[in-house]
Amino acid sequence: MHHNPIFIHQLHHTYADGTQALRSIHLSVPAGERVALVGANGSGKSTLLLHLNGILLPQQGEVVVAEWSVSPNTLKQVRDFVGLVFQNPDDQIFMPTVWEDVTFGPMNQGLRGEALHYRAQRAMAAVSLDPKLYATRNAQNLSGGEKKRVAIAGVLAMQPQVLALDEPTAQLDPRCRRQLIHLLQNLPLTQVIATHDLDLALELCSRTVVLNRGEIVYDGATEGVMGNPAFLETHALESPLSYSRPYCQIEHAPVRSLISL
Amino acid sequence: MILHVGAFHLDVDSQKTSVWRNLAPQTRILCVVLLVFAIALTPNGRWLSWIAYTIGVALLVLLSRVTLLTLLKRIAVELGFVSTVLLGTLFRQGGTVLWHWGWLSITTTGLMVLGSVVWKALLSLLILNTLVMTTPIPHLLQALITLKTPPLLVAILASMYRYISVLVDEAGAMQRAAASRNLLANPRWQRLVVGNTIGALFIRTLDRGERVHQAMLSRGFTGIVPLTEKPKYSRSDRLVLVLTCLLVLLGQGIYLL
Repeated sequence: MHHNPIFIHQLHHTYADGTQALRSIHLSVPAGERVALVGANGSGKSTLLLHLNGILLPQQGEVVVAEWSVSPNTLKQVRDFVGLVFQNPDDQIFMPTVWEDVTFGPMNQGLRGEALHYRAQRAMAAVSLDPKLYATRNAQNLSGGEKKRVAIAGVLAMQPQVLALDEPTAQLDPRCRRQLIHLLQNLPLTQVIATHDLDLALELCSRTVVLNRGEIVYDGATEGVMGNPAFLETHALESPLSYSRPYCQIEHAPVRSLISL
Repeated sequence: MILHVGAFHLDVDSQKTSVWRNLAPQTRILCVVLLVFAIALTPNGRWLSWIAYTIGVALLVLLSRVTLLTLLKRIAVELGFVSTVLLGTLFRQGGTVLWHWGWLSITTTGLMVLGSVVWKALLSLLILNTLVMTTPIPHLLQALITLKTPPLLVAILASMYRYISVLVDEAGAMQRAAASRNLLANPRWQRLVVGNTIGALFIRTLDRGERVHQAMLSRGFTGIVPLTEKPKYSRSDRLVLVLTCLLVLLGQGIYLL
């Protein structure tokens, strides 16, 4: 594993309509670290993630992934190294069956036959999808949680060293969210997670990067920022629920009668 | 095929077993394409050829053991669309005039052409629907690749199949959103809103297409769709192909004898 898989220096990005999405971003992520990328809507989280995978190329500044500077010549290596999970699994799962979709990435890497089979089965097992039950299932008939897992399996099957996730818990019910947190906790990969879900950030990530209008306004320990509601509020965020509750134990909850039921 | 997306599963009968379903998907496609071409290219009025083909198609439908009721329902829907187009052929000039009203007249030629074309359409729809009902779409797409269809074309078909239901859902959601805010006020307003919905759907399609393409790129897509192993031809595949060819030649040959 590369010791410093992601290094971003002075990155700027302006969209065609003139919106400045990123302004002098500087970020370095060491191997094995889980980093939460938090910020309000439109703060540039997704734009930054798209740069990690070479979907957007740096207009100014530099993005270095492992030893490759992201440029049209290094796209293949970069995309094999960084796996990107999109926010809406419907955008990502485009093949008719689950199996075809999970094998799409590794087939682009040139895998065939037994090796391909093994890779896809491992990836599906990692997200607890039974290949026997799901391989032939139609992608459009899956539930939201299942789709999310298929999308992650499709990326894991490429065996990336960095996993970039865009709003992984959006549209998931509490149980699916919990399963996803466990899954991410047990994956031995460098992870960059763009999210609004600060509880998830608190639980998973030791480091948090706060973006506001395309600029990094905080980069440090997650606990350091979560306990500072005034700072969060200035950047259009709210303290995680686990901080804002006035009680710690469920017995101390104000409505006792509901609990005794 | 597209008419039925969203209503129910396309391949309702693909899990059953029968002689037809034991054939490789590409053989089925070849047989169907051969028959459809033979039927469609037969000149109007050659009823004997169509008798031969009807027997062939009937055999195929029986062998494939499709659910007849579903098959007929789908054909009824499709014929509804086809017949509006075909109705024009009824009023052709030529032959003896059987009936006329103003400038409209029905002639023997018109009747003959209409009869021929309707029969052609019916036979073609019967076999095409049988094919779609007995073969899962992913297998059909695979078979197209085996038959050397350009992979990019097949990829477009595959994503169309995948996303049409997503779009149908999206259109449904927009319709419900409009209805929940009391769209039904007056017809003129309603038409305007439907127009806007269609416009919004187009833009969303474009956006989604963009995002899908980004997601494909991020998984290493280079513009060439990867191919999997091809299903093999067996003896029965060859036999059926030869029989189909014979039937096609027989149908065309009747008038040469």
